[in-house]
Amino acid sequence: MRPRRILGAIVGTVQGLIGVLAVIFAYILYIDFFGLQAWLDVTAEFLPLYMLALIVFGFFSIMSGLFLITERELP
Amino acid sequence: MKTKRELGLFDAVMMGLSGAIGFEIFVLMDYAYFALAGPDMILALLLGGLINLLIMFSYSELGAAIPEVGGEYTYTKAAYGGLVAFISGCLRWLASVFVAALAALTFALQLLYLFSKVAPAFESFVSAQVPLIAIIVTIVLATLDVRGVKKVGVMIVTIFLAIFAIFLAGGLWHGLIPPQVLQKPLTEGLSGVFAATAYTFPMFFGMRALVAGAAQVKDPEKNVPRAIIVSSLLTIPLYLSVAYVAIGFVPLGDYDEPFLNLAAENIMPRVGGVLFAIAGMVASLSALGTSITVQSSIARGMSRDGYLPKILLSVHRRFGTPYVAIIAGSLFIMFLSVIGAVEFLGYAASFGSILVFALVNLSLLKLRKKKPYMKKPFKTPLYPFTPIAGIVMSFVLLAVPIFLRDANAVNALLSGLGLLALVLATYHLRMVGRYRLQVAVGGISLSTGIFMALLIYLIEVGFVPLILPRIFLYFLIFVSAVSILAGVLNVSARTRKIF
Repeated sequence: MRPRRILGAIVGTVQGLIGVLAVIFAYILYIDFFGLQAWLDVTAEFLPLYMLALIVFGFFSIMSGLFLITERELP
Repeated sequence: MKTKRELGLFDAVMMGLSGAIGFEIFVLMDYAYFALAGPDMILALLLGGLINLLIMFSYSELGAAIPEVGGEYTYTKAAYGGLVAFISGCLRWLASVFVAALAALTFALQLLYLFSKVAPAFESFVSAQVPLIAIIVTIVLATLDVRGVKKVGVMIVTIFLAIFAIFLAGGLWHGLIPPQVLQKPLTEGLSGVFAATAYTFPMFFGMRALVAGAAQVKDPEKNVPRAIIVSSLLTIPLYLSVAYVAIGFVPLGDYDEPFLNLAAENIMPRVGGVLFAIAGMVASLSALGTSITVQSSIARGMSRDGYLPKILLSVHRRFGTPYVAIIAGSLFIMFLSVIGAVEFLGYAASFGSILVFALVNLSLLKLRKKKPYMKKPFKTPLYPFTPIAGIVMSFVLLAVPIFLRDANAVNALLSGLGLLALVLATYHLRMVGRYRLQVAVGGISLSTGIFMALLIYLIEVGFVPLILPRIFLYFLIFVSAVSILAGVLNVSARTRKIF
């Protein structure tokens, strides 16, 4: 396996995991687990904005990670 | 591979009836009667049956002219191709998934009713486990589908006809006369009737299963249209008489139990409700199995045409069944059935199918213009008024519950619009191609990483205050580095010449 392919797989996996974590974090923030909203000083007014940002970031991170993991080079 | 044509007219009619007479009658009448139309539900069902007949004329012409596997998807593809066929396929898939979720939920609710009568001690336990029961029954049916277990649809419809005959005979035995049933006032006016028609419409359109299975029918040019029209005409008096008797035995009010079970309980004390619960459960299981198969065949058809990932075409090595498409669809079904909202699922299934019907009627109009010399063994009567009336009525059925401000209908429509937007986005992304998309996503990743790096710099110089512990800053540096690296790798993907 070529170095670029290995690097792509590692970076893709890490980025995909970051994306999944971002989505999970958005959910935890939403259900206010451990009183996270108060700890992070997130008001109800701005909660949807934070959630949207986290979900969009998570979605694109997962997509980008999957592209790198499943990349196949043409001969 | 060509499918063997072995079904005659009688079998085809039975296939149409087994598609139409299903679990829907056990669940959809409740809301239509108690919340939307009251005793005018009879009028709503008559209207639904007539609209269904209008639409089925178009299905008959197209089914006879294009007797291929795929039904609606094939017609819209022949008429419009590309995007419209994709939308039609997706809507049909979504409708199948919503119907399957409703079937899983109906099974759980009928089981709850059965426990309330047979073992009341377990009622509260079963009541708390309704979503879990819906999930389990979906998993079991999906597993049976993967293993290739055959259906017994025709046998089930015969049993149903016998049960309904006993129900009707019992009602008439008790001396049910029209004034008792029909003299009650209108609940929501004519708009309530239209809303009930829209909501109960899934009770009729199951007979399009016949169109999907046209490839198995002998002499399809003659038998498919005849079978569609005969089964459409048969369902109208059947549903009307069942509704008539049930309304006569259950006055309007607040009940915890399903409407038909209550009516059966009143007609046949002790056994009636239980008999209907068992029938409802069997019908739900049958419909769930059929819907899982239908959604998987639609997904495979679209995958074969390049609209969906090729992985959906994977066939199980041992059982020879499309296990990836079955599992993927079943996950959606489980998610929807957990929501547990019968009224929402009823409207969603109805709206999806009504839109497909409108597209089928449009396809008929288009094909008559585009291919005037196409062989037409069956011609829709009163063309073009019939398909135009079908389109107009489809939109009336979509619009009335919204104007009535029925929250379930509004939610179903909004969810449907959201899913349609997703469908359109998927189509365009699919057309863009993987490598252009990879570069685009890489660009987004790169710019996000650079933005985070700038944010870190601003925090470090004190321009932006850091309210969180410093460890979050290190995590942000790590995420920024990964995003920039991933962006560079994606943008420089050397897999194919991009521009």
